Amino acid sequence: MTNEGALRILHLFPRLLGLNGESGNVDILRRRAEWHGLPVEVTTYDEGAPLGFDDADLVFIGSGPVSAELLAHPLVSAVAPELRALAADGRPFLAIGAGFQLLGEKVVLEGGESLEGAGVFPVVTRHGGTRVVGDFVVESPRLGTVVGFENRGSFVDVGPHGTLGRVVYGRGNTETPGEEGFWEGDLLGTHMHGPILANNPALADVLLDSARARRRLDYAGPTPEAAEALRTIDERARQARATIAAAPLSE
Amino acid sequence: MGLRTTAAVLVGRAVRVAARLRGGGSAIPGNIALKIDPGFLERTIASIPNGVVAVSGSNGKSTTTNMLAAIMRRHGLKVFTNPSGGNLPQGIASALLSEVSASGRLDSDIAILEVDEGYGTRLAELLKPRTVLLLNIQIDQLNRYHEPDRVAAMLGRVAASATEGLVLNREDNFLVDLDTRIPARPNREVSFFGGTPELVAGASHGVASADRFGETTVAPGSRPAAVEVVALHGARATLAIGGTTIEVRLPARGMHYALDAAGATAAAQNVLGPLFRPQFVVEALDSLETVYGRGELLEVEGEQIEIIMMKNPASLQLNLDSLESAPEQVFLAVDEGTPDPSWIYDIDFSALDHVDGITGSKAWQFAVRLGYLGIPVGEVDLDVRRALKSFLARPAPATGHKVMILNYEQMMLIRKILGFKELEGGGAA
Ligand SMILES: [Zn+2]
Repeated sequence: MTNEGALRILHLFPRLLGLNGESGNVDILRRRAEWHGLPVEVTTYDEGAPLGFDDADLVFIGSGPVSAELLAHPLVSAVAPELRALAADGRPFLAIGAGFQLLGEKVVLEGGESLEGAGVFPVVTRHGGTRVVGDFVVESPRLGTVVGFENRGSFVDVGPHGTLGRVVYGRGNTETPGEEGFWEGDLLGTHMHGPILANNPALADVLLDSARARRRLDYAGPTPEAAEALRTIDERARQARATIAAAPLSE
Repeated sequence: MGLRTTAAVLVGRAVRVAARLRGGGSAIPGNIALKIDPGFLERTIASIPNGVVAVSGSNGKSTTTNMLAAIMRRHGLKVFTNPSGGNLPQGIASALLSEVSASGRLDSDIAILEVDEGYGTRLAELLKPRTVLLLNIQIDQLNRYHEPDRVAAMLGRVAASATEGLVLNREDNFLVDLDTRIPARPNREVSFFGGTPELVAGASHGVASADRFGETTVAPGSRPAAVEVVALHGARATLAIGGTTIEVRLPARGMHYALDAAGATAAAQNVLGPLFRPQFVVEALDSLETVYGRGELLEVEGEQIEIIMMKNPASLQLNLDSLESAPEQVFLAVDEGTPDPSWIYDIDFSALDHVDGITGSKAWQFAVRLGYLGIPVGEVDLDVRRALKSFLARPAPATGHKVMILNYEQMMLIRKILGFKELEGGGAA
């Protein structure tokens, strides 16, 4: 990494864990930061030496099918100490689906075997049960209505920890709809995709703000064109959320 | 054939006529016929002398089924086939209803059936295909089946059911060695189709196939092909069949259509053996109408409008890539038929330099995506009729024609709004 003044995003396993248009989240973070007048550098990591991890201001990991999750598991384990160190140092994480599961403490597969996770998130995932596929609407105390798509065949136990919010439509972490995901401090894990940041730009801004705060990186402020682009896209996202929340559907 | 079959056929036909008058629901009559006589489909199909060829895969089933049916007809066979989209048991039963006599007899030599990979296992039991042609496995099926591996496993079961012939796309990660991963059958002839490495690599997003995770031992393209695409010029492809080459007409420009033609040709050769004539492929494909909904040109008030069907990410990408230049007037309509449009973040939309209008319940999600790409968007209006009217009122493009990119459900709705016939017979428009 070269530019000291840039915000640095570490995108983990884009090849294995990039199922639901997840790389869109990284593009959205980059575009929003740039519109606000802060350059961004994205480093992708698929395997090998964890070069430049320590420079990461924000870490993203996406979702994938079970076959990809199994293949990603040893690769995640290999960099688990580095990832735990980043989390302990207050670098914000956004983890979706299989990526969230692998960054937890344990993933129990359908056959009963279990995978040891990277231990970034204090959560345990259990595969199985009926798969839920459909629109997903969550009420977040911090952000209001958060909207996306849910497609999962697993449950996640987050213990007494904080969550993204209360499920309004869809299933969430547990068999009986209750809460969705994990959100405490700078660590956010969820099974909401869509990609989640497309419909919920406020969440992108929260992540960017905490990433910036640690390095005291200021926004230079948007150009008039960028300000207009942000206004336009936030209004479109608001309409997208309203359309989904007004008539959510599932399979 | 018993009374039950007669009742099933007659009631099914009556419903079919009624459904057609109401303008909708082409699978309903088949559903009712199957309720009255559950064995109707299986028995009728089993009576076809040369059995069933099943065509499956994520993308291109309708086009390829249409091509293969035409090739077989040109070889003198009477062909029973199902209309595009009618690839579930009810749809096939509906198609049978229009062709059988009241006693349930079907006057056909062979059935060429497009089979939905999600029902593949069940349909394979029902149809007992002698030959199976598999086109590709693409991630588009995720909305319905959630995991590419699961789709691959389903197609593996369909392939395993083939008793006499198996025809596979060697350019597909999953299909290139599928024959080695299913139980062997002594009398099954396995053949492959594909394209030259230059053509396959040159398709600007590859001939998109899902990533295969885990032990990949056989590289795509490495199996010898019975039929190979060796050249491509606009909507014409040159196919090498053993020592012969033929030039065939495609429904539209695009390597994916050339591979469909190669697949249909390889399947015809696999089924017909020494009776196969390359020249008949040329004649059959020359005579084919454009397959409904793909690259179709609608004439609306004297103006030509090209319809691009957004069936799934792979077909959308291939169709976008085959645009010769950014269309001057573009309209996009996507609704709940595409429940999770997340994959638009994996699509390269650079073939478009703007979009004039977007409608359908997913319109705002598309507008967000295009906004992050910096592609200007004109109007977003969830009222389809109003949005359509406003788009049609736009000035005629100076060059070419207006373009509409639609998902299947919106295509059906918009055809209806514009006063075009419902899809019932399928295949050709
Ligand atoms: Zn225009």
